[in-house]
Amino acid sequence: MLATAVPLAGATVFRVLALQIAEITRPGLAAEELSVRFDAHAQSGEIAVGRLRVGAREWRALSLRCGRLHLDDGVLGCSAARLELRGRRLPFEADIEATLGPGPARIVLRLAEGGRIEAAIQADGSLRARLHRIRPAATAALLEPWLAELAARLRELEAVGVLDAELDYRPAGVGDASATLRGRIAGGGFGSGDGLRAAEGVEAGFTLDARGTGAAWSWAAQLDWDAGAAYVHPLLFEAGPRLRAHGRFDGRRIVLERGELALDGVAAASARGVFDTFGGTLDTLAVELTDVDLVRIGPRWLAPLLAPASAQRLRLEGRADLRAELRRDRLETVDVELHGAGFGLASPQGEGIAAGGVAEEARAEVLAFGPVDGRVRWSSRGRGEAALQVGGGRWEKLALGAFALDAVLGPAGLRLPGARIPLLDGALVLRDLALGWSVAGWEGSAGAVLEPVSMPLLTEALGLPRMAGVMSAALPGLHLRPGELVLDGTLAVSVFGGWVQASGLRVHEPFGVASHLTGEIEARHIDLAQLTEAFSFGSITGHIDADVRGLELSSWRPTAFDARIASIAGDERRRISQRAVQNLGALGGGGALAAVQRSVLRLFETFGYRELGLRCRLAKGVCEMDGLDAAPDGAARADGGFTIVRGGGVPALDVIGYNRRVDWNELVARLQRVVAEGVSPTID
Amino acid sequence: MKSASMPSGSWAGRLAALFVGLALAFPVHAQGNLEIDTPAISALRKTMQQRHAQLAPLYASGAVGIAADGTVSLRDAAAVPLAQRAQANAAVAAENADRAALYREIARANGHPEWEAEVRRTFAQRWLERAQPGWWVQQGAAWSRK
Repeated sequence: MLATAVPLAGATVFRVLALQIAEITRPGLAAEELSVRFDAHAQSGEIAVGRLRVGAREWRALSLRCGRLHLDDGVLGCSAARLELRGRRLPFEADIEATLGPGPARIVLRLAEGGRIEAAIQADGSLRARLHRIRPAATAALLEPWLAELAARLRELEAVGVLDAELDYRPAGVGDASATLRGRIAGGGFGSGDGLRAAEGVEAGFTLDARGTGAAWSWAAQLDWDAGAAYVHPLLFEAGPRLRAHGRFDGRRIVLERGELALDGVAAASARGVFDTFGGTLDTLAVELTDVDLVRIGPRWLAPLLAPASAQRLRLEGRADLRAELRRDRLETVDVELHGAGFGLASPQGEGIAAGGVAEEARAEVLAFGPVDGRVRWSSRGRGEAALQVGGGRWEKLALGAFALDAVLGPAGLRLPGARIPLLDGALVLRDLALGWSVAGWEGSAGAVLEPVSMPLLTEALGLPRMAGVMSAALPGLHLRPGELVLDGTLAVSVFGGWVQASGLRVHEPFGVASHLTGEIEARHIDLAQLTEAFSFGSITGHIDADVRGLELSSWRPTAFDARIASIAGDERRRISQRAVQNLGALGGGGALAAVQRSVLRLFETFGYRELGLRCRLAKGVCEMDGLDAAPDGAARADGGFTIVRGGGVPALDVIGYNRRVDWNELVARLQRVVAEGVSPTID
Repeated sequence: MKSASMPSGSWAGRLAALFVGLALAFPVHAQGNLEIDTPAISALRKTMQQRHAQLAPLYASGAVGIAADGTVSLRDAAAVPLAQRAQANAAVAAENADRAALYREIARANGHPEWEAEVRRTFAQRWLERAQPGWWVQQGAAWSRK
């Protein structure tokens, strides 16, 4: 230290004393171009510092104006002091006592809103400080001239709360420098302007131990979060986690060598990473979660990230290990191992949204897989892979068997060379599945083959009357687009002695509330004897063809089609039972039999017929009926009715429909009653 | 922090139905019909009207705004109590999924799937016009209070 003292008045008893000090240095701290002006009469004075350096930071033109300045036995006392930086007053008042030359110093800072910092600095540079009821606004004001970025950040985040803490600092001497900070935050919170990052009511205790030389420090920290909640879009975090961490600090970067988090629903959570304090960015972060309970973690943290629109419908179970890496705030790799995991997607139908956003009732799942075991590795930079063993699944009422999935993952998509998903006694075989993700949604293509599934098993699984035959499909052109799944190819069912073929199949808005299927159906050479027996419809012999154009199914219920059924011309024997006549008549809307025919009906068990035909055009819940007369010339009967069955042979009778507009739901209810109860409807 | 409360009376539900109903009922004379009704559109309308009971207070508080592209946007999450922010975000995501489906479905029902963008644009304008005073709407990139 170089100092010159200049008594400005008087030789022995001075009135004003001016000191010029070239430099004062302490470990990590240097003050240059100091001047002290002491007015003995007014007991006031000013200490000016031309340049102050703390660590790597530097400030110029500081001045401390003391309300009362005294100098006793080499101790400089400055009370009710105000600090100015480049002429701007800082928002606190200070009392300072400092020994000139080597010796202790004591500083009390009185901040806004009752905050107070008491610090005692020893000659060796060690520091002991107590922070009482420090609030973010006062902290920001205090930090403004020294750490402007941090102060601005505190204000921007509208931080609230009270901090009480103790700091012990010992400079490097015989050993390394060390610092310990212990404290507690009460009523803490913050909120980014858009509300996407926020915390409220935070009560937390913390300890930070650091050791180092100069700007290079190693540290260990502990944080116990006792109360409050935080939202980091789109996730909500609640109090409970306990953090233990250690790392290094080089004056700019905080290096997290290892952090361990005790978290409900996770056996072990650890992290490492680098945070750039200058840029406020996360340079790298690697997170590892072991034995994650998907039942508890799934709804809270996975569903909002993976499927926010379907979060309430998504069910997760089982366990997982997860590793993820972020670089410059962007996700770079994800590595997940699944152990007995299960996934289910509930039906969107009847989705009840209560005021709190909770579904009012449990819904059946339309799709489920599990248990799933295996590993998924994804990278934003290149190739990843998924190797999963799926123990089974369910699609609507159909149980799926065990299968393996081995896919190649890209940054925004996947390729699956093939997969064979058992379905009853057959299988759905996928080939060359390629899926890509964009902002609009998933897009992709594949080929699929349905290996024959026996109809008895299928109809039993679907709760339908038992049918003989097999179902198979060749769908070489599966295309998935946002809102649409196109199944180019045909699905064929050999049933009732003939075959049914579906083509032009499209699933619109799959898995959404508006999910519906469209397609065309052709049925050829269907044996009516088998059909009517299967559906307990009475008995009809002979064969029919059927065509269903513009079929549309919503939730597997027809909402539109134009269907025609017609008997096949030929010389086969055609008979229709009394009950089948009654049932057909009922489908024709009642009043389908003339009075004279009704009396004949009761006399015979079966009747001969020449031909039968029925047409139903369904739209807006109404089936517009027609019969044989509609084809080929469309001419209607004189009485307005339409012929469903034209009699032939002995005995014979016609079945005529008169009600051309039939409510579809009523028609289905009638049919279901006939099939379920095996009873004939009443004939008027 | 500002907070949004959930609707307390049936009037809110009726207003909600009116808002959704008016917007959905607007016919496009030049190109097809936005009023077209199919079971899928009907299911979407019903779900959106149910969800509107949850969204209406979020519109009123400014937490959620009517975006210029025919979606809704969580523009000020701070207006939602912290514990309900994740739910509000889920409601916005679900609403936007349904709106995307609605635009596709209306275009499809008109027999012109390629009209989807036009349907979306027309609806976006309708949603903006039907927004109640005090709601936040986006025109261009800028948000303003109606």
